Amino acid sequence: MIPFDLQEPASLAEAIALLDPDDPSVRPVAGGTALMLMMKAGLFQPTRLISLRRLEGDLRRVHVDEHGDLHLGALVPLSKLELSPLVAEHAPAVSETCRTLSNVRVRNVATLGGHVAHGDPHMDLPPLLIALGARARAVGPRGERWIDAADLFVGYYQTALERDELLAEIVIPAPSPDSSAAYVKFTALSADDWPAVGVAAAVRRREGVILDAVLAVSAATEKPIRLAAAEAAIRGKSTSSGSFDEAAEAAAHEVEPLADIRGSTAYKREMVRVHVRRALIKASHS
Amino acid sequence: MSPQLRHISFTLNGNSVTAEVAPHHTLVEMLQEQFHLYGARESCGQGLCGCCTVIVNGRSVSGCLYLAAFADQANIVTVEGLAKGEQLDPVQEAFVSCSGFQCGFCTSGFILMVNQLLEKNANPTEDEIRHYLSGNLCRCATYPDIISAVHAAATTLRKE
Repeated sequence: MIPFDLQEPASLAEAIALLDPDDPSVRPVAGGTALMLMMKAGLFQPTRLISLRRLEGDLRRVHVDEHGDLHLGALVPLSKLELSPLVAEHAPAVSETCRTLSNVRVRNVATLGGHVAHGDPHMDLPPLLIALGARARAVGPRGERWIDAADLFVGYYQTALERDELLAEIVIPAPSPDSSAAYVKFTALSADDWPAVGVAAAVRRREGVILDAVLAVSAATEKPIRLAAAEAAIRGKSTSSGSFDEAAEAAAHEVEPLADIRGSTAYKREMVRVHVRRALIKASHS
Repeated sequence: MSPQLRHISFTLNGNSVTAEVAPHHTLVEMLQEQFHLYGARESCGQGLCGCCTVIVNGRSVSGCLYLAAFADQANIVTVEGLAKGEQLDPVQEAFVSCSGFQCGFCTSGFILMVNQLLEKNANPTEDEIRHYLSGNLCRCATYPDIISAVHAAATTLRKE
């Protein structure tokens, strides 16, 4: 890697002050696993990294508030999400997704905030956070603001975060008793490869009927996106798996997959169809 | 730009040590270049293969994706820290007795990961072993013998 400067602030305010809104070669770094890959490949050559490792407090905390909303601090490592009893109780699909997210060592180091703020469309949690209706709290020099997960990803490796903003936490709203969610992925090259397609589904159902569903796809597309046509196609349908074909068809129709080493556009479109169906089956029967 | 060296201190295999590192140095580079510890070695360079596994504050990390500067004030354990003198640790013994390796390049990473697994789960099933070790690659494909070694080490450790 080429040399760069490293600063290690002790507070969130200090970290934000060190960020430079006009210089893309200055970036925050938490666990660093994703950024290191880019730096080693020469795709990102920082002049200065702002390490977040000395920051403490709520940024590292997982807790449930009085409304039952699950708060996940941005510096919580993915292994803590995987193993947290609170996450298992309030967002079991998140725990399950973390089990097959990269490997133990990466999960020990990579943080939720980095996972989300990196903006890599191949990350596993973003589509699930969209499906679960999560919100992100961003903090910057002008104060803090809330961003819906569905609005957070604006392009290939691009998020709605400004260069001088940091994620503080992700909040997953309390699930209603009739809701359930699931994430499924397809890895084309090897079992532990980055996904070629990831699909998350959150459904609300009553007496065998889907009241509504939120569907999101990632990895195949340039950013994680909601599948509006597929969501409309499933509303009011029976939870018997035969009725998922229409939604799967709609999803395959509405996505614009990017071709790469993990598959052609046509192939990924087919995999989106298959995995939307699987995600709906899994969410409706969990 | 000339790298600005920083002075860090940490515990390495039970000893207090210091090092001079540049911000862009990785943990595995520091261990090799400054401490001549070659048990953790860079192979894939992407955190996928596990050959560079190092234990930092009780948790496994990929030493190739971990900045050396982040070792400051940490407790670092490498495969060289497991044996007590000539006495191998139970996981190392099990890998020898079960022939859980061929060329040995991946072995130190596997041994550290198995130690972590058995700390958390004293009697893992084969599925649990496969899942936990899915981020460690053995290009000689000694996986069946590695799994035997994990079971053997687990049996030894449960008796201790």
